[in-house]
Amino acid sequence: MEAAAIHEREQEKLAARPKSRALRLPRQVRTGLLYLSLWIAFIWAVFPFYWMIATSIRGKEEIFQRPPSLLPHTVTIQNYVDLLVGAQFWRYAMNSLILTLGVTIISVLISVTAGYAMARHRFKGSVMLPLFMLYGQMFPPVLLLIPFYVQLRFLGWLDSLYGLTPVYLSYMLPLCVWLMRGFFSQVPLSLEDAARMDGCTRWQAFWKVILPMARPGIVAVATWVMIHTWNEFLYASTFILSEKKRTLPLGLSGLIGQYTTDWGVLMAGGVITAAPILLVFFFLQRHLVSGVGGGAVKG
Amino acid sequence: MTPRTLPGRTLRNTWSSVFETGWGAHAYPYLMVLPAVVVVIGVVVYPLASGIITAFYDVTLRTLNSGSAEFVGLRNFERVLADPAFVQASVNTVIWVVLNVVVQLALGLALALLLHRAMPGIGFFRSGILVPWVVPSVVAVLTWRWMYDPSVGIANELLVRLGLIDNYHPWLGDTSTALYAVTVESIWKGTPFVMLLLLAALQLVPRSILEAASMDGASGWRKLWYVILPQIRVSFAIAAVLTFILTVNNFNAIWLMTEGGPLNSSEILFTLAYKYGFKRFDLGMASAVATMLFVGLVIATTVYLKLIQAREGD
Repeated sequence: MEAAAIHEREQEKLAARPKSRALRLPRQVRTGLLYLSLWIAFIWAVFPFYWMIATSIRGKEEIFQRPPSLLPHTVTIQNYVDLLVGAQFWRYAMNSLILTLGVTIISVLISVTAGYAMARHRFKGSVMLPLFMLYGQMFPPVLLLIPFYVQLRFLGWLDSLYGLTPVYLSYMLPLCVWLMRGFFSQVPLSLEDAARMDGCTRWQAFWKVILPMARPGIVAVATWVMIHTWNEFLYASTFILSEKKRTLPLGLSGLIGQYTTDWGVLMAGGVITAAPILLVFFFLQRHLVSGVGGGAVKG
Repeated sequence: MTPRTLPGRTLRNTWSSVFETGWGAHAYPYLMVLPAVVVVIGVVVYPLASGIITAFYDVTLRTLNSGSAEFVGLRNFERVLADPAFVQASVNTVIWVVLNVVVQLALGLALALLLHRAMPGIGFFRSGILVPWVVPSVVAVLTWRWMYDPSVGIANELLVRLGLIDNYHPWLGDTSTALYAVTVESIWKGTPFVMLLLLAALQLVPRSILEAASMDGASGWRKLWYVILPQIRVSFAIAAVLTFILTVNNFNAIWLMTEGGPLNSSEILFTLAYKYGFKRFDLGMASAVATMLFVGLVIATTVYLKLIQAREGD
């Protein structure tokens, strides 16, 4: 029985071999095809980004010229000047900055001890809590949106940055704790033992030895929170009502007019909103990729 | 084992010595998780419960002001189910989710396989292909909206030049194409993340297995099907569930491009719930839709957690 099966597979392999030989292309052609597909993927991924920049540096007439040309004929910074001269954009940027810093600091402070305790200590709920945190991240925002609205209205916190902070924590904190736990469980246990042997209290061992060791992980989590808070749109657009409390993404979407939209200025705003994120990302690429990919999945 | 330093006497007493013995030691881990647990209960558990409860009450702006909402049982659900927009949105949600998940996984896998090799310049391509993932979602959506512009959009111009269409088409303004046009943007935005997850998984496949397969004469496709895919199947499933959750919750793409229109043709359940809640201010109906979505997501999340546990058990 088994022999027959092997025999069959052997036959199949033999039959398949010449065919695959015939299909095998010469080395140069294969490499050429590889690079061709890489370029196609690259252009597909980068083109909208290019188009945003290209639009932002064109003159007003050229933007609405038909047919549109791939390369800008004239380069101007007029759109950026128009955008930055008004006080609104600065105010949006300031709001975004305040909110991002506040949410990041609070969520890192709270998640750092929780993540550590979950990774290191056995206590009632030390198995269930992390899973619960992961669940917390998966709830559909739309289900939380309504009770948040009712609550913020009740407290009179609608249309304020401090009202948005707890809302953002609901969206950030659970995954922060989960990621932190992942990072702390990678710090070797023996380090803590050594510190305790040398007479540190448990808190000192955590504060002076473990925390500095886990710094790359903490930086990754903090960056992750910053990026998400900076980009968030749904909650901000629902709970922020007045123009001067708007965050950057909200301000950008507000530039879309009912009938006409100044796409040059809008795209300039897009470039400026995306720039800090892109900078952070390309500086910390390694940390973030392993943090989000590894930490989230592997735990 | 005897401690090298004598405990207690030789130590400076600090406030944190409280946690070394007795009740302090017992309470220590609980105190460390306490802030996080309190905040999560306050901002996740409580709102969640109250959101589900809202689905069974008649809550509108008027009842909110008077502070007396009436219990109506399942009537909100009945009203939602009777709304033709809900039926349309459900169908659209299925199309939206299936297209997004299938295409993102297929493209993500192809890209991961493409990028998982040592070639000159591969870092350049990898960084470039990650750009959509990094660009803030609002910025990306608005850029695509501009590219789809019916009169001067570059998407129309490129398609005409490639000979795929004859005339400029209002992609977002046509009921038959709006949902698909938004889907293209969402695929563009979501694929790099799938690629990243699968690339990480591919890098964990032991080289020796691949070499053994090559020695046995397995060709490229067979190696992919019989060797690589079984090795990364858990990551693949995780990527699938994550993509599913992210797609169901993708509000920005639809809202900022079409607001669910024209004529509900690109409405998904998420945007429908949002409209019920914040355009009509019928929070009861909105909660009913959100609760239904929530049940679907809980099922998906449970599958996700099972997968992660299976993987940790490996």
